[in-house]
Amino acid sequence: MAAILDRNDDLGGFRPEPDDNLIICRCEEVTKGEIRRAVHEGMRTMTEVRRFLRVGMGLCQGGTCGRIVKGIIAKEMGVKPSELSECTSRGPARPIEMRIFGNEVADDE
Amino acid sequence: MKRYDLIIIGAGPAGLSAAVEAAGAGMHVVVFDENARPGGQLFKQIHKFFGSKEHKAKIRGIRIGEELLKEAEDAGVEVHLNAIVMGLFDCKEITVMENEAVHHYKADSIIIATGARENMVPFEGWTLPGVIGAGAAQTLMNLHGVQPGSRVLMVGSGNVGLVVSFQLLQAGVQVAAVIDAAPRVGGYGVHASKVARTGVPFYLSHTVVKAEGENHVTGAVIAQVDERFQPIPGTEMHLDVDTICMAVGLSPMSQLLSMAGCEMVDKGGVVPVVNAYGETSIRGIFAAGDVAGIEEASSAMITGRITAAAAAAELGYLSEEEFEKKAENLKASLKQLHEGMFSPENRGRTDLTVTDEGIALSSTLLKKGYVADEEISRFPGVVSGIKGIHPVIECTQNIPCNPCQDACRFGCISVGEKITKLPEVNQEARCTGCGMCVAMCSGQAIFLVDEDYDETGASVTIPYEFLPYPEPGTKGTALGRDGKAVCEAEVLSCRTAPVMDHTALLTIRVPKSMAMKARFFTV
Amino acid sequence: MSKNAEVVIIGAGITGCAAAYYLAKKGVSVIVLESTMIGHGGSSRNGGGVRQSARDVRELPIAMYAIEHLWPYLSEELDCDIEYHKDGNLRLAKTEGHIKILQNLVDASVAAGLDVRMISGDEARQICPYMSEEVIAASWCPTDGHANPMVTTLAFYRKARSMGVQFITGEEVVEIRKDKGRARKVLTKAGNCYEGETIILAAGFASRAIANTVGIDVPLIRQNLECLVTEAQPPMFWQMLGTAEADFYGHQSKHGSFVFGGSSGLEMFVKNDNTAGESTSITAASVCRGIMKYFPSLADAKIVRHWSGFMDACADHVPIIDKVDEVPGLILACGFTGHGFGIGPGSGLILSQMVLGEKLCVDIPDLKYDRFKAKA
Repeated sequence: MAAILDRNDDLGGFRPEPDDNLIICRCEEVTKGEIRRAVHEGMRTMTEVRRFLRVGMGLCQGGTCGRIVKGIIAKEMGVKPSELSECTSRGPARPIEMRIFGNEVADDE
Repeated sequence: MKRYDLIIIGAGPAGLSAAVEAAGAGMHVVVFDENARPGGQLFKQIHKFFGSKEHKAKIRGIRIGEELLKEAEDAGVEVHLNAIVMGLFDCKEITVMENEAVHHYKADSIIIATGARENMVPFEGWTLPGVIGAGAAQTLMNLHGVQPGSRVLMVGSGNVGLVVSFQLLQAGVQVAAVIDAAPRVGGYGVHASKVARTGVPFYLSHTVVKAEGENHVTGAVIAQVDERFQPIPGTEMHLDVDTICMAVGLSPMSQLLSMAGCEMVDKGGVVPVVNAYGETSIRGIFAAGDVAGIEEASSAMITGRITAAAAAAELGYLSEEEFEKKAENLKASLKQLHEGMFSPENRGRTDLTVTDEGIALSSTLLKKGYVADEEISRFPGVVSGIKGIHPVIECTQNIPCNPCQDACRFGCISVGEKITKLPEVNQEARCTGCGMCVAMCSGQAIFLVDEDYDETGASVTIPYEFLPYPEPGTKGTALGRDGKAVCEAEVLSCRTAPVMDHTALLTIRVPKSMAMKARFFTV
Repeated sequence: MSKNAEVVIIGAGITGCAAAYYLAKKGVSVIVLESTMIGHGGSSRNGGGVRQSARDVRELPIAMYAIEHLWPYLSEELDCDIEYHKDGNLRLAKTEGHIKILQNLVDASVAAGLDVRMISGDEARQICPYMSEEVIAASWCPTDGHANPMVTTLAFYRKARSMGVQFITGEEVVEIRKDKGRARKVLTKAGNCYEGETIILAAGFASRAIANTVGIDVPLIRQNLECLVTEAQPPMFWQMLGTAEADFYGHQSKHGSFVFGGSSGLEMFVKNDNTAGESTSITAASVCRGIMKYFPSLADAKIVRHWSGFMDACADHVPIIDKVDEVPGLILACGFTGHGFGIGPGSGLILSQMVLGEKLCVDIPDLKYDRFKAKA
């Protein structure tokens, strides 16, 4: 169950930082500044930031950056990372070609 | 749909151990692993393990992997390799990609033992080729025989960073430095010491601020950090490296568990909420090994067995009494590994200042990776000034390990019942200089010293794991614990034996005054 | 934090967020209450179609209005690239039966004034050369298109929020309570009470239980929807795609990935209390097979993710967008049956007009809440 969150808290407003150009999500080339700005513009869950910026939506599905993104969002919101809900885990656990994905084989006992 | 009693996902130490236990109980069990070889990380772990005999202490990870595989084969466990488990669905159904097709399987129990992945921290230039995980460096070296670079900066002083630094040195790669943002070395002191005495500098309270280079890493800039882990301007230092290895922690690969709907919690890594037997909030779905919380492979092997026993008991393959007996033994074994200053409850603590015995910890060990000469004598394994050859055990932290005690047939070394106790040297017993303790110490922390080797010289026997072995008569330099040259030295002998399993005993002659200082040899 | 506003909207999907935006634009104070997070229902589980073709004529006017007057300007208006493409929609046929289905849809749409026509397989391949030879005909609507549903919903939210709309998430509404004959109070599971002159109920399937608390029932069920996305591919085509059989639908996004939705045929029966999220073990594979029959060249594209969720399906497959006469102050906007995204901005605009008693931009006489009747 999601905690009640008033989305109108402005968190003190977005202020640029020197490392805003740092790429955080390598698959989708999303920068730290973009993530921070999205939080200030109202994206307050890992999932919303992900849907808004595509961060963690690439080939590795956030395997590398997920934890880093969580830390950035938490810091902007002034909460502990563990207080943020994870994005939903979805299949496939590894990227898989459509021709294989659709090739279901029945194994008999 | 094809159905098993138990499906195990991951053929690493936890998964294979679980499979052996389950098959032993008579379960119809299958293991899936996405890799081409089973064993998980074990086959990359060329160092000797800690613990006691039952934890396979003093055996190298790679051998433990081989033993475990053989056990699994003997038990008739079906292992599917190159098999990617794509999803874990309702009613304990999995989809597996295997041979360019998708297979559906079901089981009454599922053990997830998918392990962990390496963490990364972002910094300027972190996306350049040449910034790699320490585990990746280990894979390159130990599985593929490839040097990851020629000169490496190791970021992170936990056991992974320390062990991999040593392996890089073994592989002929230079290690420019080991750094850590934390104010103290995170891993075992003995791992740090064997790296430090080769001359690798440690910079604690330092972070990497930049990877230099256009198309690949050509250098690194590190800087000191303040208490809030922010770089302090003006403290930047350039290092000539072509590789930056990140050993900044591991995160459980728990996606399948969350996909299945198990209750999860973020404990600095997202893990399933489990009961005492590794069972998640969904009955019949278990987690074992790193995926349930990052630990060592030794613990993973035990938790694998515990979960399998619990699954077997739930499905009637073990009686309640059989299960309770097994679980009790396994838990006692796990408890031994969970004691001492590196126990799970002490994780992240920086306020420990004394050992269980009340001896002040070495401050240089925590700051620089080695125990300073003036600090070493206060530890119970360190004796000097006695006649004849004797062991010097430079073991200064309470870690769960006792092979040294068993190594000496003459009773020179005692650890006692509690395996985290610091080893003591029994001065009454007579050391024959066999050197078994030197070879058996997983931490490479035991030396033989003969202060009366000849008129002017002492002999020092060092555990040595670098090739080629120096020939007797070779002249070179003895290095101190801090890796700095202390004197000239001459190789007296370099002994090897199968029982020593690739830890050679390198004996050097140094001036008498250097007997308690010389701890490494270089030509 | 104020708990009173002129309008309280229950549900922060595309419909609720768009309504909030258009109301804010007209100076109305709004509170939006959302039980989970922004755009977490059907708004994030659809193929992104912004289409008129193959739409039921009862809701078609909303789509036609939105595509003419709203969608082309949204990116600019919301100050966010919502990735809108207006490059047409091909609905594909492989059999004579398919052609019959499409022809019926085309005839109805043409009668309602839409520019849509049947074309041959070869004509379709001229528009989109990647289709297999198995495609023998298609319906073609050049003014259809697609957009990014997740970004669009969040962009409405972001803009509305910046205009002062108060959004509260994690606030699960359990009851609407009347005050002197009018729906006025909105009570939440956490024990909070919000008040509005008007209450818009746009909470997907949850709308049914909430409406029940003021004695209104509408025939909604939950139905599973599955989507999947490939890794980025080189730009291939910008049309929205669908099939006569509705076995899949989707498009290539600006990013290069293909986003598809589809069905296994069993979605009516996917359990709501499935422990393993909402996805089944069989649907995504079936969607892949469907896609490859029409687009063999996508066979090597890697699926990076598939996801699903539940939509609110209405008994007669079109939504309820209506002022509830019996309960003054309550407006219902639910039952979108999986096609609420394309008409979302239009629905939002209409809701704002309903609140203010303005003339609606289009007539929707067939979307009333009390239209459901037993067999004669």
